[in-house]
Amino acid sequence: MPRYAMIIDAKKCVGCYACQVACQMQNELGPDNVLIRFEDRETGQYPKVGYVIAPLQCQHCQEAPCVPVCPTTASHKDVNGLTMIDKERCMGCRRCVAACPYNARTYLADEGVVQACNLCLSLVGAGEEPACVATCLTKARYFGDLDDPKGEFAKQLAKAKPLRPDFGTKPTLLYII
Amino acid sequence: MWAPKFPRRTFLKATAVTAAAVGAGDILSFGDWLRKADAAPVTKIPSLCETCSAACGMWVHVKNGRIWKVTGQKDHSQSRGQLCARGHAGIAMAYHKDRITHPMKRIGDNDFVPISWDQAYSEIAAKLQTVLKEHGPEKVFFSHNPRPTNSFYWPRLMAAVGSATIQSHHSICSTARDVAYKWTTGGMATADLGKTKYIVFLGRNYVEGLSPSSAAGMAAAYAKGTTIIVVDPRHSNACLFASEWVPIRPGTDLALLLAVANILITENLYDKEFVAEWCVGFDEFKKGMAAYTPEWASAVTDIPADTIRAIARGLGNNRPASCIEQGYKAPNGCNYANGTQMFRMVACVNALLGNYGQDGGMKFGNAPRLGSLDAKQYPAPPKPKAARCDGVGIKGEYPLCQASQGIVHMMPQRALEGKAKAGFLYRINVARNAPDPALLVKGYKALDLFVVCDVKWSESAMCAHYILPECSPAEREDLPAVVGAAVTMRTAAIDIVHSETKPLPEIVAGLAAHLGLEKYFAFSREDVAAAMVKPLGVTLDDLRAKGTVKVKAPAAKPLSFATQSKKIELYCQAFADNGFPPVPVWEPPYSAAAGKDSFVLIHGKQGFLSHTTSISDPYLCAIAKRYGLERLWINAAKAKKLGIRDGDLVEVASPQAKRRVRVKVTERIHPDAAYIPAGYGRFAPFLKTGVGYGISANDFVPARVEPISGHAMMMEVVVTVRKAGE
Repeated sequence: MPRYAMIIDAKKCVGCYACQVACQMQNELGPDNVLIRFEDRETGQYPKVGYVIAPLQCQHCQEAPCVPVCPTTASHKDVNGLTMIDKERCMGCRRCVAACPYNARTYLADEGVVQACNLCLSLVGAGEEPACVATCLTKARYFGDLDDPKGEFAKQLAKAKPLRPDFGTKPTLLYII
Repeated sequence: MWAPKFPRRTFLKATAVTAAAVGAGDILSFGDWLRKADAAPVTKIPSLCETCSAACGMWVHVKNGRIWKVTGQKDHSQSRGQLCARGHAGIAMAYHKDRITHPMKRIGDNDFVPISWDQAYSEIAAKLQTVLKEHGPEKVFFSHNPRPTNSFYWPRLMAAVGSATIQSHHSICSTARDVAYKWTTGGMATADLGKTKYIVFLGRNYVEGLSPSSAAGMAAAYAKGTTIIVVDPRHSNACLFASEWVPIRPGTDLALLLAVANILITENLYDKEFVAEWCVGFDEFKKGMAAYTPEWASAVTDIPADTIRAIARGLGNNRPASCIEQGYKAPNGCNYANGTQMFRMVACVNALLGNYGQDGGMKFGNAPRLGSLDAKQYPAPPKPKAARCDGVGIKGEYPLCQASQGIVHMMPQRALEGKAKAGFLYRINVARNAPDPALLVKGYKALDLFVVCDVKWSESAMCAHYILPECSPAEREDLPAVVGAAVTMRTAAIDIVHSETKPLPEIVAGLAAHLGLEKYFAFSREDVAAAMVKPLGVTLDDLRAKGTVKVKAPAAKPLSFATQSKKIELYCQAFADNGFPPVPVWEPPYSAAAGKDSFVLIHGKQGFLSHTTSISDPYLCAIAKRYGLERLWINAAKAKKLGIRDGDLVEVASPQAKRRVRVKVTERIHPDAAYIPAGYGRFAPFLKTGVGYGISANDFVPARVEPISGHAMMMEVVVTVRKAGE
C-alpha cells in the first residue's frame, strides 16, 4: 500500500486561495465550508519586514487526535495511512473538530456531517494529482508516496518537516518553511 | 458547484423517492445513491475564464447537466494547467442570483420592469434614431471591455450607426502606459522575466494582480536567483519573491527613474551603441536628466540615495539582461498626474540599457495573425467620419490618446455638459470602477438613451434605461483569440440557464435589424469564427475538441520601432508639437501634499478578486470575510501616533467622501500611504452578495482627466484617517 503524503513549500505560497476554492469545487462544498485555511505572519519593522502565508488542511496525522474521540468510528485511519471520515457513520457530533489541533475540519450543516481533506483519493486513483496540488500557481505543493518518493516530491522530502512537531501527532503533511 | 441548487443530501433524497416510484428494482440505500450520483459521467468541455483579462483556458467538468468544477488547460499559455481562485469560482456565474434574466426597462430610481426583446429593440432603436436625427452620431458613444466577440460585433454596429466613439476600460487602467509607449517605442515591449538577471518591478504585482503564468514566472525567476527589486509603497505579496523591497512615497516613481537615468549617463553605464543606432534626442535627454541627482530623488521618493545608485548600477552592470518591468495599472497607468511621463521614462531607461529585443530585456510580441470576414462578401460599414465625443485625437483636447482606448470615465461628465446624448455599455462597470460614483450615476442618467448589456446587475446597469441580458460565459461559444503561439476559443459547456438571455451576436444583430442595418450582419458567428482561424489552418471543430490549439509561431522580426521617427524617442516630437514636455521632467503628484497626519489613498488587487464583480461571488466574498481582507492598511508607527489600533473601525475622509472601514495596522506600508484593496464597496441594491461590504477608493477621488493620455488619476487623493466611534 502506498503511503500518500503532501509537502507544502510555505516560501512559495503567495496566499492566492486558488487551492482553497479548487478544493471546495472538487468536494462540492458551499462558500463557508473550507478544507484548506490560511495562516499568515508578519515579521520585522518597517522598512525591514517579512511575511509568510501558508495553507493548512488535514495533516493526516499518524497519531490522529480526531480518531479516538469519534464515538462511531467514522473518523478512522485508512489502509493508506490517511485520516478519513466515513460520512455514513458520522453523526455530526463534532468531537473530532474540537480535537483537531490544526483546526482543519469543517461541519457541513446541510448534511449534518464533518468533512476534511481526503487528499482527493478519487483523483489520485485516476492517476491525477489532488485538486490543490494541480492548481497551485507557484507549484508550492508536492504530492507523492513516502514509500516510493519520485521526482520533485523526492527532492523536497529531505527539507520537509512537520509544521508543529510539538503537537506530537506525527503528520503526513510536511512543510518547508 | 454550490450556487442555487438543493443541498446535496436533500436533492439526493428527492431523487431517490422519484426513482423508487419508477421501479421496485431501483430502490437503493442512501449510500448507494450517493455513490451513484458521485459516479455520474463527467464530460469535459473547453471554455475560457472571464473573471479577468488573462482569459485562461479551462475545462468545464459537467456532471448531471450542471457545472461541477473547472481545471486549467495545459496548452493555454496563461493558465498552463492551473487556475486561480477567481477561475475556480467564477464559472458558476451561470447560476448566480445576480443574473439579469430578462430585458429590463427602468421606470424609476432602482425600479425596473421586464420587457420583451422585441419591445427592448424597438424602443432603443426609436430613441437612438431620435438622438441621431437631433444631435448626430458624434454624440453617441460605446464603452466596453474589449474581448474577441464584443470587439467584433459592437464596434461594427457603432460604425453602422456612424459613431466613432468606441472606448475601452483603459483610461481607468493603463492608458498612461499605453500612450507613453506608443509615442516612445511605438508599442509595448514586455520584460523577458525568464532570462533577465536584474529586474525592477515598479508597483506591478505579478502574484496578486495575477494570471497563473505571471505568478509562476515570478516564482521561477526568484527560485533561480534572479535579482528582483520591488519598488512599491506597500510590501505586497509580490515581495515574497523579491530580493529587496524598496518602499517609495506614492506617486514618485518618475523621480526614481529620472535619477536612474541620470546615474546611467553620468557613470557611463548606458549602452552608447544602442542609443546611437536606435534613439533620437539623446543630447536633449542628457541635458534634461542632469539635475536629477540621486540626492534630489531621495528627498522626493524617500528612498536612500545609495539604494537609488545601487538600483541604477544593478541595471547598468547587468545590461542588456536587465530591465524595468513594463507596468500596468501599477504604478501609474491611471493613478497620478505624472503617469504618462513616468512610463515614458520606463521606456527611456530600458533604451539606455540597450535591452530591446535582447534576452533578459524587453521584447516585442510576435503573435500569429487571425483572418477576418471576407469584406467583398460581407461589406463592412464605412469608417465613421463623425468627431469623437471624448476629444480623443482632436488637437487642443486629447490629441495623443489612442482611438482604440478613448476616455471612458469622462462620458458621464460629457453627458452633463450636453456633449453626449446616447451611450451603450457592454460588460464594463464604470459607475463603480471609476472615481466619483455620485457624478457618474448622475451623468449616465442625464443621457437621452443609456443601454447596458451585461450578465449580472451592476452599479452601471442601475443607471440604464434599458438592460440587455447576455448569457454567461459557460453558456456560450465565442469568437476565437490568439494566446501565445496558439488559438483558443470558448465553447458552450451547458445549456442556456435563463431562457430570456442571449449570446451577444444575436443581441447586436437584433438591434441592428430594428435600426434597419441588418445588411451589415448577414452572417453567423460561426462564419466569422471560421474566417478568423482559417489562415492558421485550424478548424472550429479542432477548437471545440481541444479548446486551445498550438499553431506555428511567426518567424522573429528584426528590431523596429513604430514611432514617427522609427526610433525610440527620448525626445518626443509629438509631445513638443502638442505643448507637452518632449523630454520627461519632474512633476509632483497632486497628492504630494500628504503630511504627518494624512495619507495618499492607494489601492491594488488581491489575488482572489478582479474588480468589483468578484466580491459579489459567494465563494470569493466568503474568503474576504473570513480573513477580514477588506481592511485599510496603515503604517504601524503612524497608527500609534494617531491612536489607532489593529482592527479599529476608522473613518476615512477626503473632501469628497467619508467612509468607515476596519483597519489593518502593519509594518508593511510606507507611512505616507494608506492602502485599500480594490473591488469592494458595491452599492447596486439588486446584488445579493458583497453589497455594502468594504469601501472603494473611487468614493474619495474627484472625477478628472489627465491632460496627456486622458486617464483618471485614481490615486491623486489625500485622506485623513481617524478612529471612529463604534
